[in-house]
Amino acid sequence: MEERPSLIAPVATAIVVVAAWWFLVPLLGINPRYLPSLSTVVADGLSIRSDLVAGFWRTFVETALGFLVGSLIGFAVGVVFAYIPILERAFLPILVAAQTIPVIAFGAIVVIWFGNTILAKVVIAFYLSFFPVTVATIRGLETVDRDRENLMRSFGASGRQIFLKLALPTALPLIMVGLKIGVSFSLAGAIVGEFFGDTVGLGVLLIQALYFEQVPRIWVLIVACAILGTIPYALLVLVERRWVWWRAE
Amino acid sequence: MNLLPVTVALAGLLALWELAIALFRVPGFVLPRPLDIATAVMENPGLYASGMLLTALEAIGGFAAGAALGFGLAVLMVLFRPLERALVPIAIAISSVPSIAFIPLALVWFGLGPVSKVAMAALAVVFVVLLNTLNGLKRPDREAINLLRSFGAGRLGILWRLQLPAAMPAVVTGLRVGLARSTIAVIVAEMLGAYAGIGQIIYQATVQVDALHVWAGVAVATAGSLLLNAVLVAVDRRLVWWS
Repeated sequence: MEERPSLIAPVATAIVVVAAWWFLVPLLGINPRYLPSLSTVVADGLSIRSDLVAGFWRTFVETALGFLVGSLIGFAVGVVFAYIPILERAFLPILVAAQTIPVIAFGAIVVIWFGNTILAKVVIAFYLSFFPVTVATIRGLETVDRDRENLMRSFGASGRQIFLKLALPTALPLIMVGLKIGVSFSLAGAIVGEFFGDTVGLGVLLIQALYFEQVPRIWVLIVACAILGTIPYALLVLVERRWVWWRAE
Repeated sequence: MNLLPVTVALAGLLALWELAIALFRVPGFVLPRPLDIATAVMENPGLYASGMLLTALEAIGGFAAGAALGFGLAVLMVLFRPLERALVPIAIAISSVPSIAFIPLALVWFGLGPVSKVAMAALAVVFVVLLNTLNGLKRPDREAINLLRSFGAGRLGILWRLQLPAAMPAVVTGLRVGLARSTIAVIVAEMLGAYAGIGQIIYQATVQVDALHVWAGVAVATAGSLLLNAVLVAVDRRLVWWS
């Protein structure tokens, strides 16, 4: 097992960065247009706390719904493709190529289809997490050792048993990687969906802060996005440590 | 690789697309026909070509700057370990923020011109390349390093002869992920504020609820990104043949 990284260095770095941002920035007279001091940012965040909480919750719901549906369907499609070779050969290259193109631009089409509704953001978050989870599932199931599969079969294991006791455990570490990529894509998709227009959400607040060039507010929202991105990621890491602690082969 | 199944699948998807429009009488503003999209691009090739060219140049410029910065920082961190302990937590913290959240800041700082797009492309790639390079440089095991040291190799010699070659496959992975992220960052930044570029073309069409030209813009962005990626893959294969 890999040793747990020491927490001292990250914590020390965090303290230094926060202290420098709070005290050094005003002291050095850095133009607040570029970097306002942390006290200004915190004060601005408190002044819009109800909008901030509402926006945070809305964007979180969009991300979570899209990610849940996207990863479930992505997993199911991945399993089907992995077990039907002709489908895999036909669609895996397309799915892989889809990861190199800005699929987020298709969000514009989704917005035209569904308007400025919460559904549009969920759909964008959905398909953005679908691609990496599908590819990770196919890749994970591909790594299953044929000899072990044959061994289990020769002892009379059913297809279902082989899947649950051998294939799935082998694939899970890679699937977890896909899920982590998927959840960060989902969040990005939800925010970009909000850029096209809505009334609630972190993306909406970002656009408003941009139009009025409110730099402290932009920083408030960057921190909010960071927290929103870290929560589901951290949850996945916890799930991984607790239930998927073995490594990919 | 056998291209037949992929070709059949793509043809099948296109046929399904046409069939759905014919069967369900889908209006063009919901789902235009593939041929109409191609025609829309060909009716105004200059607009789409110049938009995509600008987007590609911004993405490549930022990608190159960000990748060089990330690679350089990783090498420095391996040579001076305290730097790694101090900066890696910051790098992980910044990279946990979805990079598109920085777009408004980039636009306020650098204006609506290409500089803000280049900065966003660099931001989107720098940490992926930094963390991947760092992992790659640490890949050679102690024994290999000790062997070189016992033959009198210095720190730079070990870096040059052992660690850098061993790191290149991981660097290449970082570059590929990074290029996709750079293109995305540039296109989304152009949607939010730009004078030109394929993202701005898509955004204008979206605002006018002009589905045909949204599809045209997205199709050009897709083709352009596939081309960029193919170039990167070809360059990688030539330079890093041992992975």
